Amino acid sequence: MRILVVDDTEAVLLLISRFVEALGHVAIPARDGGEAIRIWREIRPDLVLMDMMMPVVSGAEAAATIKAEAGETWVPIVFVTGIGEESRLAEAIEQGADDYINKPVNLRVLEAKLKAFQRTLALNRKVREQSAKLADYYARAEEEKRVVQHLMEQMVNAERLSDAQLEYWLSPAESLSGDMIAAARTPGQVLHLMLADGIGHGLTAALNVLPLTQPFYSMTEKGYAIPDILVEMSKKVRQVLPIGRFVAVVLIAIDEANGCIEVWNGGMPTVLVVDDAGEVCHRWASRHLPLGITETHDVETVTERFYFDSPGTVVAYSDGLIEARSADGHSFGLPRLQQLLKVSARRRLAGVQAELDAHLVDTAHHDDISLVLGHFGARLRGVAAEEGRHLSPAVLSALLKVGEPAWQYALQLGAAELKYLNTVPFMMSFINEIRVLVPHQSDVFLILTELFTNALDHGLLRLDASQKQAPGGRERYLAARTRGLEQLESGRIDIELTGLRSGGQNVLKIHVCDTGPGFDWRAGVTATDVAHVQGTGLALVRALSSALIFRDPGNDVVAYYLLDTPPA
Amino acid sequence: MSPTVQIEGDVGRVVLSGQFDFSAHREFRQVCETLIADPVVKEVLVDFQNVNYLDSSALGMLLLLKEKIGAVNKNLALVNCRDTVRQVLEIACFGKIFTIR
Repeated sequence: MRILVVDDTEAVLLLISRFVEALGHVAIPARDGGEAIRIWREIRPDLVLMDMMMPVVSGAEAAATIKAEAGETWVPIVFVTGIGEESRLAEAIEQGADDYINKPVNLRVLEAKLKAFQRTLALNRKVREQSAKLADYYARAEEEKRVVQHLMEQMVNAERLSDAQLEYWLSPAESLSGDMIAAARTPGQVLHLMLADGIGHGLTAALNVLPLTQPFYSMTEKGYAIPDILVEMSKKVRQVLPIGRFVAVVLIAIDEANGCIEVWNGGMPTVLVVDDAGEVCHRWASRHLPLGITETHDVETVTERFYFDSPGTVVAYSDGLIEARSADGHSFGLPRLQQLLKVSARRRLAGVQAELDAHLVDTAHHDDISLVLGHFGARLRGVAAEEGRHLSPAVLSALLKVGEPAWQYALQLGAAELKYLNTVPFMMSFINEIRVLVPHQSDVFLILTELFTNALDHGLLRLDASQKQAPGGRERYLAARTRGLEQLESGRIDIELTGLRSGGQNVLKIHVCDTGPGFDWRAGVTATDVAHVQGTGLALVRALSSALIFRDPGNDVVAYYLLDTPPA
Repeated sequence: MSPTVQIEGDVGRVVLSGQFDFSAHREFRQVCETLIADPVVKEVLVDFQNVNYLDSSALGMLLLLKEKIGAVNKNLALVNCRDTVRQVLEIACFGKIFTIR
């Protein structure tokens, strides 16, 4: 230690200094309180050994100054006192001095005291170092949290959650949430919702759910269906997360045009459908393991469907909501949630929030809470009533003669490729790149989907559309379609997209042709309800496109779509 | 929550109690590692008799245990799962990958 020795008696100063040096310390001498303060300011010794009674500035005054200036740093001050100085000594100790030793100085006692102070000083330094380190860690953790929070907000894309069909509420247990809600629409306007819950809460949970966002958004935008998106999500989660980490997730697709809701639930609480009155009319219990536990090829991607013909709400929530415990240990519970849904659709969310607040009072909830309400059926799409934007016969005949296309994209698929290729989403990644098509993605997607489905389902697979009308018919239809596709051995579908320019107008020509036997398209044209004859889709295509032309025997169809008017 | 271990023959039983969540992480891992390393033990039972609550991080711990036990060719079963515990395991569909008795 560097020890400042202060005494106005030269002999004592010398004696103590020598002794201190003999013990292996460095002695720095000072002859009065003023000098002691000056040297302390300059050298900052580790410990001060000081006489009480000194000229100029007394020991007590010097001690007070040193203590005040040392601030957070602890500088032990030991007074060397003569007999009869007890009352002033008490005062000095009160002002911050640490110990005293009587004159004449017993060197053995002084040695013991210096050792004790050395130990305490070491301890003190360690504590200070650790608390500095701790403060450092804290600051770093806060900074990391801030970055992750920003990242989450960007990736979750709150903008898209502001969908008229969607209401949601997310209340994290910590500043970061391990629950995540995402929403996006396919080009065909199917609303995809995702509610995911990562293990635990806070930073690690938030990191667990992040890998899901990218496949969810990018694949939804290209028009992929839930099973395809799930496979990609599973791959991402398997690739990114360590063993023992997984994500419970529920994916919901609300297809207003077809009156169908499709759900896949892996490890989340039961998803409910309530009707207008709030009565539960369908449930999707968890049927699958959460993502990240099994290999991707072992994930069953089969969704369960619910068909609706009246308005209602899909309700999904995390376990944090029903397990939220009040101060007296009662959980919120599913029965209470179901009861709260029995109000008009748009009052449900606020009702649950208010009741949960009352339930928790000031108790903090220990898990992230989320609730998603997807309203459907409010604008059941009247396909038949939709106005088509038809081309004048003159423009149409001019189009038929146009030789040079601005661009062309052609695809010819045989049976082998049709089995596994997800054709329309695959083509959409091209369509999304063509500038004139971008504002019309949604319409183009619908036309393409309907014409392709028509060619495949009815042209090649020879499925009967009318069976869809029977109760449970749609499920049987889809099963027959899967079976037919597996057994398909021959046949071809050609698709051609062409950009044309005629009479100052940009027109998209969609040509779909299959090797099937065709169908009596004239019957479809004259019948007002074309849906029953040849699938639900042709009426929609007719409404969206400017002209629809069949060629005999009905396995070859061309749709013209006007690109200059804003989409319907 | 302090897990205890009982060994009967070649069966090692980890008895859990109270809340099984992340706070039990270290002790649970230690207890399981001794059973995994014990050459006599051929089957590990995780006993939920006295557990009244488990959360998703507990499920993560079970997955880790399954992985480790699989690596040394021993058997694992979750036993005495009641009420809340059973419910949580059911929602996660853990019956598909664990033996639950």
